[in-house]
Amino acid sequence: MDKDTLLEHYRMMVYLRRFDLACTQLKLKDQIFSGYHATMGQEAIAAGFIPALNDDDVVFSTHRPHAHAAAKNIPLPRVMGEMMGRTCGCSGGLGGAMQFLDPQYHFYCGSIVGSNIPISAGVATALKQGDTDRLCLCLFGDGASNTGAFHEGLNLAAIWKLPVIFLCENNQYGEAMPVKEFVSAPNIADRAHSYGLKPWQIDGNDVVAVAEAAEEAIKKIRAGEGPIFIEAITYRIKGHYMGDPEHTYREKAEVDMWKKKSPLIRAKKTLTEMGVTDAEFKKINKDVDATIAEAEEYCLAQPYPTFEESIAHVDIPLTVAGGTN
Amino acid sequence: MSGEMQNITYGEAIRQAIDEEMGRDKNVVMMGEDVGRWGGLYRASTGLLEKYGKDQVKDMPIAEAAIGGAAVGTALMGLRPIAEIMYIDFIAIAMDQIVNHAAKWHQLSQGQVKMPIVFTTQGGAGRRNSSQHSQSLENWFVNVPGLITVMPSTPADAKGLLKSAIRNDNPVMFIEHKALFFDKGDVPVGEHLVPLGVADVKRTGKDITIIATSWMVGFALEAAEKLAEDGISCEVVDPVTLWPLDTETLINSVKKTKQCLVVTEAPAAGGWSGEAASIINEACFADLKKPVQRLCGMRTGMPFGPIHERKVVPGAESIMENVKQVLKGKEVCQS
Repeated sequence: MDKDTLLEHYRMMVYLRRFDLACTQLKLKDQIFSGYHATMGQEAIAAGFIPALNDDDVVFSTHRPHAHAAAKNIPLPRVMGEMMGRTCGCSGGLGGAMQFLDPQYHFYCGSIVGSNIPISAGVATALKQGDTDRLCLCLFGDGASNTGAFHEGLNLAAIWKLPVIFLCENNQYGEAMPVKEFVSAPNIADRAHSYGLKPWQIDGNDVVAVAEAAEEAIKKIRAGEGPIFIEAITYRIKGHYMGDPEHTYREKAEVDMWKKKSPLIRAKKTLTEMGVTDAEFKKINKDVDATIAEAEEYCLAQPYPTFEESIAHVDIPLTVAGGTN
Repeated sequence: MSGEMQNITYGEAIRQAIDEEMGRDKNVVMMGEDVGRWGGLYRASTGLLEKYGKDQVKDMPIAEAAIGGAAVGTALMGLRPIAEIMYIDFIAIAMDQIVNHAAKWHQLSQGQVKMPIVFTTQGGAGRRNSSQHSQSLENWFVNVPGLITVMPSTPADAKGLLKSAIRNDNPVMFIEHKALFFDKGDVPVGEHLVPLGVADVKRTGKDITIIATSWMVGFALEAAEKLAEDGISCEVVDPVTLWPLDTETLINSVKKTKQCLVVTEAPAAGGWSGEAASIINEACFADLKKPVQRLCGMRTGMPFGPIHERKVVPGAESIMENVKQVLKGKEVCQS
């Protein structure tokens, strides 16, 4: 991968890392009300994969969605504001940090583990029979691969040859449950074999490997060779949610070992070898911080939805268009 | 064509509704177990696969989470799915998709996203299928904000309500009854729309209002016919849509008759029957001569076979008996 392309991926990873850190601070200040699920350590997957999509491709994320949303180039106030429950958020501040919809940017997520897998098959069903080469990227974690919905969704996508990419972010833990104890298959990718797919397993901490996989997967899907299953191996540096009792399920030494394998460290090393200077890295940090600070300042000044707005649109009244009698 | 009637089964009425709506709008798609090749468990989609093709009529694996997910995903992309859950008992597998997604997204997106899905399914006893193929689970859905719950009791209602449901932009639970599929009735030929959210007075009377749903409507009418011979005049009201409920029609009827029996096949506890009784009590307390009473299915798993099955859900006999109890001011005897 050439220097400029890698630098773009690196810039995106810095953006996602610093956004995550900003969210951590917002959570500490109780500006994010719900549980906050940090993305630290998993940046390469979002940064390497999502920017390769077209704007109108559909992304379906998880309860840990903000890096995915930011990588889809949704303007930051729409994401950060949503996490803070402000009206500038893409769902008007009604969804919060783990379930929001941004139809304008074709981005969806939700906080029920595994649900998005059959829904993505549904999205891809409609895309396939429409006059379009759009695709659906379905992101989920290792934990989702244990749900019934995972198997029902994969089977459907496989029998109907749907234009959907299943991208499993195996971050080694489903909440407090380590993959090595709670996933029966030696590799999550193995599960896709049983649906007739030829899954790929990639190093999810290597943004170059992720970007190459993205390019190939997207090309194959648009050529009608879907679905595709990719397991990206990564590690959740922070707890399942901020403040979870981490000591009950893992050793600090393990976390420290993975911190050294951070996708940012690795990409920075390569870029340094390619001649990128400290000054250039610092400028990236500074630019990203400015974008985040500007978004944060903007969001903090935005109102919360009114009570009436919060309880509006439960359903479409039968007397109006759409509920038409 | 206008005004022309045909005598057809409930199942054929459903088939016509789907056929007409698919012909009218190619975005109407049907998906479910055996809806294509078989033409549906009760032949309510016979011939549609041949007529409209695989894009519009999709046989699906026995995987209700996939059916629910496919419905939600296709609706999100602008299609208007009819998602068939073969037996309502199987809907437990699809509940996440219905409750956490289909019912939530309109509100969560501030009205931007619409979920024009009709979940068609069929429930109830009457076909000797024991406890995992005979339940009346409509109460689950009445309790979920964002869902409309409909239970057609006649062929004409089935056709007209399904066509309205397909055109509606809300997720609709369209709960048919397995014992009604081969019952015949007069149904308008061609365009026939029955509004959602409007109750139907199936028989007028002056002594007591029987509010009955789905399969129970026919039994209530049969009971009313026999009670008329004893000089008891029953008004039979079918709510048709369980939610949103046409409270006005129910209340007006009870204000007139001043006595009320609510009849459902589903058990009483925690159910719609209690909701209906409570609404009547709140609105008609001063008018009521006697307390509103309920006659409901027993709180039991469905016994196997025809003999005991009929004892645990109300029928014409038990409705007659209990109308008399209400009129005497006595508590009803369940089933």
